[in-house]
Amino acid sequence: MTAATRKYGSIFTAQLANGLTYPLDLLGRALSIVVFLWVFLHLWRSVYATDGSQAIAGLTLADTLWYLMLAETIVLSKPRISADIARSVRDGSVAYQLARPYNFVLYHFSVGLADAIVRAAMTALVGGALVWALVGPPPPASGWPLAAIAVLLGWLLDFSMSALIGLSAFVTEDTSAFDWIYSKAVLVLGGVLLPLDFLPEGLGSVARALPFAYTVWAPARVFVSPDPARFLALAGAQLAWLAVLALLLAAAWRWAIRRVAINGG
Amino acid sequence: MAGARRAHDTARGGLLAEARFLASLWRAGLQTAMAFRVAFVTQIVGMALNNAMYLAFWVVLFQRFPTIGTWGLRDVMLLFGVVAAAFGIAVVLFGNILVLSDVITGGALDAWLTLPRPVLPSVLASRMTVSGIGDVATGLVCFVLAGQRSPEAALRFVVAVVASATIFLAFMVIVQSLAFWIGSAVLLRQTAFNAVLTFATYPLTLFDGTAKFFLLTIVPAGVMGTVSTDFVRRFTWPGLGQLLVAAVVLCAIAAALFRAGLRRYASGSIVLAAD
Repeated sequence: MTAATRKYGSIFTAQLANGLTYPLDLLGRALSIVVFLWVFLHLWRSVYATDGSQAIAGLTLADTLWYLMLAETIVLSKPRISADIARSVRDGSVAYQLARPYNFVLYHFSVGLADAIVRAAMTALVGGALVWALVGPPPPASGWPLAAIAVLLGWLLDFSMSALIGLSAFVTEDTSAFDWIYSKAVLVLGGVLLPLDFLPEGLGSVARALPFAYTVWAPARVFVSPDPARFLALAGAQLAWLAVLALLLAAAWRWAIRRVAINGG
Repeated sequence: MAGARRAHDTARGGLLAEARFLASLWRAGLQTAMAFRVAFVTQIVGMALNNAMYLAFWVVLFQRFPTIGTWGLRDVMLLFGVVAAAFGIAVVLFGNILVLSDVITGGALDAWLTLPRPVLPSVLASRMTVSGIGDVATGLVCFVLAGQRSPEAALRFVVAVVASATIFLAFMVIVQSLAFWIGSAVLLRQTAFNAVLTFATYPLTLFDGTAKFFLLTIVPAGVMGTVSTDFVRRFTWPGLGQLLVAAVVLCAIAAALFRAGLRRYASGSIVLAAD
């Protein structure tokens, strides 16, 4: 184990323990998935009834609800890395963090991943119990490890895009508008509100060519249809986007750090 | 007779003075927000784009499935327009509605208790959420795109939006006033906020009997969304009655609960020291 792995591993473990300290708070947060899944159940039940078919794009109503459960879990559990980074830049605390013996971006990734895992476990438990009660059992457990890997890669992709938005605070100070637009891009083009398989062909192809699709749609799709070939194709696309975004992020970080002016205090 | 007239004049003067005070708060809020021009424009345009992305979901959904239940794209567009405009007006004029429970639990009410003005409206109007202007703009665009272009429909839209905004504000005051008793109400506020806005932007016809009852009473998202939208589409006395009764009853409950909570309020003892 390298020193870097141990260092970020320790940050991750400490944050994991921190997240588990207030289980009731976690449960309260997780309850918001009930609102969304309840609306989705009624919406998609009505869509399937109007369409008159058992399956749309190969997904039954039960598949769609389980897809949406994981999609909502991924989105509701992810931390707002962009807001954290932007706040550090705005209030100047980035100056203190730069002096510490860790990489600023990797530190946020380690903390974010720990937060996301703890929240996702509770949210999936609540959401899963509700969907199971409403439409029946989940997809086969044999596919869950593949879905878990895809979820982790999806979060890393999301963190990279969020960190790029957060670093834009070096120029704009307020990044909330970019945050809103990004979050809606993930909702629509990432497949949170509906599986991308339901999109018209042209728009579906465009959506699948963008990185948003691999934050949510890819893991949720692997979860409901866990065949190894699909997993390999989607995980490959996730890794390719991750490489592109990592290069962009490294360049953005080098550029941002040159703009830091520390005036003592 | 003269006494009654004097009381009426005093009440009218009080209301006018209150309106002038609120107007000055809004003017100050706007001037503060406009001091940072880039952030001001970015927030408004960003929110409008954000709403456009969400509407894209409905456009795509209706392209694939032309009707859902009895609703088509124009119906949903009008529904979203009413809710977006109502939310926008509420947070632009009364921006502290988004953080009222924090103000209560943080002991920050002290600043308003010293003013010779009703506390609740003063607290709420002391902050302007500029991005709400983008929501109002989205609402107006949706109203036009939904095909409702007559002056009568425009008047009904204004009435529905004002009623819907009042219902949203009153509901959020009720929920956050519980902070006087339970302390931190952050999770409760977030859940109530998500629930009322999420349910309001979906047609009420999607839901069954029990759910409908829930959405017309406990979480008044059905009144804020579908009932208001039905009123914009077609004037009916029962429709207008439902909107007015919901707005007045919820305002009365909100005012009573906030006043009761205020009696329990202990000062935050915040001391500002200047050197």
